[in-house]
Amino acid sequence: MWELIIVQPLTNLLLWIYDSLGHGPHMFGLAIILFTVLIKLVTWPLNASQVKGAQAMQELQNDKEWQDIQKKYAKDREKLAQEQMRIYREKGINPFASCLPTLIQFPIIIGLYQSIIRALSVTPLDMLKLARTVYPFQNVENIIPLNSTFLWMDLGRPESIQILGFGLPTLAVIVALTTWMQTKLTMPASTNPNDQTAQMTRMMSIYMPLMLGWFSLTFASGISVYFIISNILGIVQYAATGRANWRNLIPGASKQTSPAKK
Amino acid sequence: MKTKKLTLLFLIIIGAFIISACTGQPLTNNYPGLTADAERAYISTGSFIYAVDVQNGRQVWSYPESAGNEFLYFANPVLTEDGQLLIGSAGTNHAFISLDPTTGNEKWAEPFSGAKGAWVASPLVFNDTIYAPNTDGYLYVLDLNGNQVSPPIEIGGALWSAPVTDGTYIYLNSLDHHFHILNPSTNQLADPIDLGGAAPGSPTVGNDGVYAGSFSSDVKFIAPNGRNDVIASASDWIWGAPAFDNETLYYADLSGNIFSLDLKTNRQNWDTLKPDGPVTASLLVVGDQIYVATEAGSFIALDRDGKIIWEKTPGGKIYTTPVLSNDLILVAPYQADFALAAYDADGKQAWTFTPNK
Repeated sequence: MWELIIVQPLTNLLLWIYDSLGHGPHMFGLAIILFTVLIKLVTWPLNASQVKGAQAMQELQNDKEWQDIQKKYAKDREKLAQEQMRIYREKGINPFASCLPTLIQFPIIIGLYQSIIRALSVTPLDMLKLARTVYPFQNVENIIPLNSTFLWMDLGRPESIQILGFGLPTLAVIVALTTWMQTKLTMPASTNPNDQTAQMTRMMSIYMPLMLGWFSLTFASGISVYFIISNILGIVQYAATGRANWRNLIPGASKQTSPAKK
Repeated sequence: MKTKKLTLLFLIIIGAFIISACTGQPLTNNYPGLTADAERAYISTGSFIYAVDVQNGRQVWSYPESAGNEFLYFANPVLTEDGQLLIGSAGTNHAFISLDPTTGNEKWAEPFSGAKGAWVASPLVFNDTIYAPNTDGYLYVLDLNGNQVSPPIEIGGALWSAPVTDGTYIYLNSLDHHFHILNPSTNQLADPIDLGGAAPGSPTVGNDGVYAGSFSSDVKFIAPNGRNDVIASASDWIWGAPAFDNETLYYADLSGNIFSLDLKTNRQNWDTLKPDGPVTASLLVVGDQIYVATEAGSFIALDRDGKIIWEKTPGGKIYTTPVLSNDLILVAPYQADFALAAYDADGKQAWTFTPNK
């Protein structure tokens, strides 16, 4: 089922883009970039609802009634949960709206990774799997094997640049940096010392770059290209709403707007 | 809040674990390689190479002592006349090694480590010279001590199959959609011949030329002077090397069709023969029987009219070309309960081999 719904369509889409680009050197990297743009366009409304949901949750943290029930039912978790749900209903807030796009991204990331490995077919067994994956209308015998070169990288392998005998994982660093930028920029400015959303986001800004950086170190560099483009587009989308908190990128500046850390 | 931090950390670790698990197998995974002489079979199954006594299916030796992803072996090992067993690693370390076939001990002082890519193809040994094709697109030329005797020859495209020779020229297929002819006395390549698709299997030497299949689904005849013609077609990609037997060429495709081409008349000897699944292994002709191994796991003996004489299902999938040792046919299934099985000409299983733990 996973194969049929995720891996097969993604692999065929990648191959189709690659073929349309002329299937020369560097074109598979370009295909991954175009693929990422396409995925971002398709999930644009979802991401917009995530931004909206996060903003609503943020505003809620500063709401007087919300703060009151936190204090009032601090020792009664069940009652607190009931009251929170009531406020969600009254204000028309979906507490999961900010999580959904992230959840949707996960199968895409996993599927994309499998599609990249499948499409590049570094072993005969991979090639056999590819033969079964392609749709009949694809004219893949002309484009196989794919050219996995993109700029200085082999997209089928983890990337590093040799400097003075050391392999510097530049892509992993860029992935970690852009992920950190994205989470920092979307970090809400809060005046509420008990703002859980802001605290969660702060933790995300530490863990997410480390996790995606580790993925980039470990997996095929094609997936790192996806992460970087996806992060950049995410930043652009958020900035387009006019809510990007650029001050958060300056070390120390964020403390002025987030007293919760005091 | 501490609980929330721990919960988030836990969720992220679980997420990382799920992604790692879903992405699945190691970077390099493949079906086994197999070769045999009259005494032993040699099977490469990832981290290990095993020598198996063909009389009884018992393990003679294994190499190396411990497993690791650095060295992975999938190519068919190659025996040389001076008593070496040659194979390259498809792991992260691209070493090309020589073993003693009787003991499994390394024979060269140092493995050859000049290739940039993994070793998927077997080498050809011709005139005391090793011609080793690599996935980096180069053909490495070594002496029998593992020393490079000339600069590597750039072929282009990943090389997944062993070169063959007619005693004068060396022929090899490439994933770059081309067939290449090398003059070993000068190491000069003739103009490449377009096959119309990638060619993961070896070409086959015939009486006065070479036969090559490819993903174009065509079989080409190529003369030593480069003259070439499409002589037959299949319904799907052709993977394994065609099998040449006097006036007949046997080949198969990934749709599972088995073909028998009369080279005198250029006509197929039978209409349709499609047992039960894709065929990547080359067909093996022994006496009056043609042996077919399918991905579905069937091992089939045909007569020359295409009639099934017997059919066995040893277990797992079969991608590796069966080999003959004495009067036994050896089959190396992938993802089966055992690594090797031996059958006689009547289809009776003589033994199976499972590596010692």
